[in-house]
Amino acid sequence: MELLAAALAVGLGAVGAGVGNGMIVSKTVEGIARQPELQGKLQTTMFIGVGIVEVVPIIGVVIGFLAFFQA
Amino acid sequence: MHEFPIWQLGPLDIDISSFIAITVSVIITFVLAKLAVRNLSVDNPSKLQNFLEWVVDFVHNFISSTMPINRVKPFLTLGLTLIMFIFISNLLGLPFGVVMETHHAQESIGITEELLAKKGGHVEIAFWKSPTADLSVTAGLALIVFVIVHFLGLRLNTKHYLKHYFKPYPIFFPVNVIETISKPLTLALRLFANIFAGEVLIATILMLGWIGTPFLIAWQGFSLFVGGIQAFLFTILTMVYISQAAIHEEEH
Repeated sequence: MELLAAALAVGLGAVGAGVGNGMIVSKTVEGIARQPELQGKLQTTMFIGVGIVEVVPIIGVVIGFLAFFQA
Repeated sequence: MHEFPIWQLGPLDIDISSFIAITVSVIITFVLAKLAVRNLSVDNPSKLQNFLEWVVDFVHNFISSTMPINRVKPFLTLGLTLIMFIFISNLLGLPFGVVMETHHAQESIGITEELLAKKGGHVEIAFWKSPTADLSVTAGLALIVFVIVHFLGLRLNTKHYLKHYFKPYPIFFPVNVIETISKPLTLALRLFANIFAGEVLIATILMLGWIGTPFLIAWQGFSLFVGGIQAFLFTILTMVYISQAAIHEEEH
């Protein structure tokens, strides 16, 4: 049962992280295409956004590890 | 999976590997800073002085993106310390590990008979890891940031700081309180989870033996990148929280 819990936690978290990061980076690329001189600032903001979006899926990964190694 | 040597000192559990790692990280950061400022010269800077000047410039630039440029100076050292300490701490667990194997119970560091029985008579104790792979260390850093943000908010910006709990409408007060609590919480958990997950994955790849070598190379590279990004992210979020609490009077 713990294996299923770990797999669910990591898998669903990965879906969330993938969709979220994809949206962030695609908007950033669009912004850079419209105004290439803003590339530095847009890239920095993109990394900050990715860091914020990835918190909860990464916490899910840690919970998955906890469940997995208790099994 | 490795156990960590925990030393019971009264009511406290002291993790020996964390202590060793924090001390080493502090010594490395301090020595790096001290070596870079020896023989300072404007015309002929040494490589280390050049590198550290670049770091100072980088930190100054990203702090100035969050607050008006004439208010940046007092927070420059805080930003520099945070980013250097966290970056060096994140990198410490990557090059090597120190693992002790034991078949007997070692009560003094927390390996009890039940733990030995649960693991089948053979326990591996890790004496080295990144300090930031321990929730206590990252929670300590987040607590420092929390105290700084609210102290500065109360001192420099009292009226606006207290009023912002009731903006935009007083009914939002519980939401603002949750936001205040969740900021240091996510700061600590983000750093801890990223570095801890990286270390567990290194231990897992090592279990594959020599076949895992290309995976380990790729994963070490990615861990380097993640360590840098997380250090940068911690510092810039600290600066954003400080500027939100203490500086925003100028924009109103």
